[in-house]
Amino acid sequence: MTLAQASDPARDTASISAVASVVDLRVHFESKAGRVHAVDGVDFDIRDGETLGLVGETGCGKSVTARSFLRLVPMPPGIQAGGSVLFRPHHRCSNCAGEGCLECDGSGRLPIECPDCGGTGCPSCGDTGMQTIDLSTLPEKELRRIRGNRIAMIFQDPAKALNPALTVRDQIAEVFYQHRTEEVLERAGTAGGADLLLHRHVNQRSRWPERALLSLPPLRGRRNRVEEVVDEMVAAALAETQIPNPTKVMDRYPHELSGGMKQRVMIAQALACNPDLLIADEPTTALDVTVQARIIELIKDLQGRHQSAVLYISHDLSLVRRVCDRVAVMYAGRIVEIGVTEEIFANPLHPYTRGLLAAIPGRGHGRGQLVAIKGTVPELIDPPPSCRFVERCSFAVDVCASLDPEIEFGSGNHGVACFIHNPPEGAAEVPSFSRRTS
Amino acid sequence: MTATLEGSGVAGAELRGDFAISVQNLAKHFPIREGALQKVAGHVRAVDGVSFDIRRGETVGLVGESGCGKTTLGRCVSGLTDPTSGGVYFDLTTAERDRLGEIFDVPENGRNAEMVVELEEIDRLHRIDRIKKQEWLRYRRNCQVVFQDAFASLNPRHLVREIVGRPLKVHKEASGDQLTERVVELLERVGLGRQHLFRYPHQFSGGQRQRISIARALALDPELMVLDEPTSALDVSVQAQILNLLNELQQELGLTYLFITHDLSVVRHMADRVVVMYLGKVAESGATSDIFEDARHPYSHALLRASPDVDDDPAAALMTLEGSVPDPARPPQGCRFHTRCPVATARCGWEVDDVVRWLEDEPGMFDALSDVTRVDAFTADLVFADESAAAKLEAALRSGKMPEAARQALVEVRRDGARTHIAFTPVSEVKLTRRGPGHEAACVLDLTLDRV
Repeated sequence: MTLAQASDPARDTASISAVASVVDLRVHFESKAGRVHAVDGVDFDIRDGETLGLVGETGCGKSVTARSFLRLVPMPPGIQAGGSVLFRPHHRCSNCAGEGCLECDGSGRLPIECPDCGGTGCPSCGDTGMQTIDLSTLPEKELRRIRGNRIAMIFQDPAKALNPALTVRDQIAEVFYQHRTEEVLERAGTAGGADLLLHRHVNQRSRWPERALLSLPPLRGRRNRVEEVVDEMVAAALAETQIPNPTKVMDRYPHELSGGMKQRVMIAQALACNPDLLIADEPTTALDVTVQARIIELIKDLQGRHQSAVLYISHDLSLVRRVCDRVAVMYAGRIVEIGVTEEIFANPLHPYTRGLLAAIPGRGHGRGQLVAIKGTVPELIDPPPSCRFVERCSFAVDVCASLDPEIEFGSGNHGVACFIHNPPEGAAEVPSFSRRTS
Repeated sequence: MTATLEGSGVAGAELRGDFAISVQNLAKHFPIREGALQKVAGHVRAVDGVSFDIRRGETVGLVGESGCGKTTLGRCVSGLTDPTSGGVYFDLTTAERDRLGEIFDVPENGRNAEMVVELEEIDRLHRIDRIKKQEWLRYRRNCQVVFQDAFASLNPRHLVREIVGRPLKVHKEASGDQLTERVVELLERVGLGRQHLFRYPHQFSGGQRQRISIARALALDPELMVLDEPTSALDVSVQAQILNLLNELQQELGLTYLFITHDLSVVRHMADRVVVMYLGKVAESGATSDIFEDARHPYSHALLRASPDVDDDPAAALMTLEGSVPDPARPPQGCRFHTRCPVATARCGWEVDDVVRWLEDEPGMFDALSDVTRVDAFTADLVFADESAAAKLEAALRSGKMPEAARQALVEVRRDGARTHIAFTPVSEVKLTRRGPGHEAACVLDLTLDRV
């Protein structure tokens, strides 16, 4: 294995087309027992159109990482202790109006040029020439324009994520009202923002006197026309997720739908604005296997059509293997291994990844012969500078307990943070897979 | 367990039969209550006529989707819920089991006086809700349960010593220092130690809590353990630890497991035999290798093909099922799986409800439906608000909008104004039939895997 530095040229070219980059992200939580380092120095890129899997056990920080994209981590008790999440938004392809053409590779989206340098590359955009937004410092008001529009999220439990007091139609319509105001007005034939009342209504900012005016004859017809347009858009979004009879489902409340149907509604809501990045936080954990299979196929199919990048978070390795192009394995707030899916599964480099793969009951294991990883996930309160996996690792030596391995990239962009592959300079003893120490 | 059983009123006398448990025609229906007077409007048929056996020392896996009744069945077996009909028999010899099977093969009204007397006799000695108090206590100590959520099933205000020692106290097996020593012994057996005695459940991780649950279940040296999704709340690395522990315990103590789970890879790893349930009924049962390599029921097949396995080719498509699980308060006629079955035939039990379900998914049609007058499940008059809807239905029933099999089963469609009369071929319930040694499936077809 050849060693490469963090400035690996292959990695740099890859980051050019990255739709989002997480740079040394640190999210900590203040607790009575001390500071919990939930996410502690996470680095990765999500390339345009790819599916990146983020796997790890409960409490390894994968959900916190995902929520940091949209700043959904409550602060306090959360603390952004460092790092940033960079996002490079796209706008609708002007050539084809979002239909998909050669120029935009069928995705209907084109990257926005950096306003500072006009696409030639400058320090503010990291020499990519694309508009780069730092999501961790963006004002709340501007972040709201990105949430649900350019970056959308699917949550684990659709029963909790949908508002029980709103019909399916109202929940999805909100996305269009908030992010597609102009388009709604245009389709309803009242474009140009000439009609302030209607504009405010579509933007969900109207107050009761305005609503009263809108319900009276001169304006009522136009308001109804707007509602019809939104109904059509909602029905189209629902039909996209293969929901039978969308017009009927629209009038239902979430409790009237089955789990799989609720998850479809969430997916429809997330994809309504054709986002650049979709964050799926364990989208099938709450579902049955037969339903899970359909949701997975659906996400894959929709991703293929929309060319959105997907950050797929899961603890199920067999699922990740099917869905993702690349996989990042997280352990105790760090990424321990990242690489192309086949590489990770065929040639896992980190002892933790190896342990995880061996622990899945597959048909290759005899009964009672699962290779369990001993011990439990360590508490992340003020962790010492050592490999986080040292207490559970069967190959650990002294150096693992005193030094913290950095992630280093080898051939084929396969990165691993382990001294077995990247021995520290001047260490007396180097760990190796050929020698078990405990 | 090395500890001797002393000072106990109900000594855990050795079981003698070959069958630890025999479930016969078990049904559990929950009433649906409606209105101000809470009148019973119907029943949810959570478990609806299930029979299977658990031999001593084996592991039976019970799989199915959520809502198929597997947890209810587990609760009936462990005596936490009383069944509506049928029974759970424990500690039967092979001869008794065979006789019981013969009696239950005869419908209730067709049994002769001799059979009734014989059944009474077996019921009195072995059926868990009919046996004497002493015997019932013996059953309770011999059948222990480990629940899914180890946080909810451990009292948060009790110390580990009290939680694990509780069964010993209840059965007056030990007290004081002796109890502490027994608890330490149990904790060591499941990989915990003396240092954990005086802690509360919240001080443990998920895997450790599940170990405490297992220690508590082991306290009375049981024969049978009902494991209700013991690992579904755990991570894979911890799940592996718990599964290995359960295996070790089974080998050392000769335990019998009823392993309830929705995770097929876990079942494949743990079980000797598998029972696949769908909507309160057994779809297929047989040896683990039979089910996984030679599934004969389209549902078991779909379930297997839908769950990804790490050792599988990741490029191979997952099989998906159309539609959702029907309402268990109105289970489909014939084979309960026919509404979603990819290979359904005309003999599978097509009925009026299938047409109503189709109408629900068809834009505008369900709103036009004003009344359904049923003669029976297979024959009915559908009354629409206007004639065009009725005509549309009539056309749809004859076209490719309905599954081919349903059209074959349709014997009559007659439209009279806004009223459409439909009739399907009546079909009786599909019974489990033998497919091989110890392998049964409830399907009208004789399928092999690759044909589905």
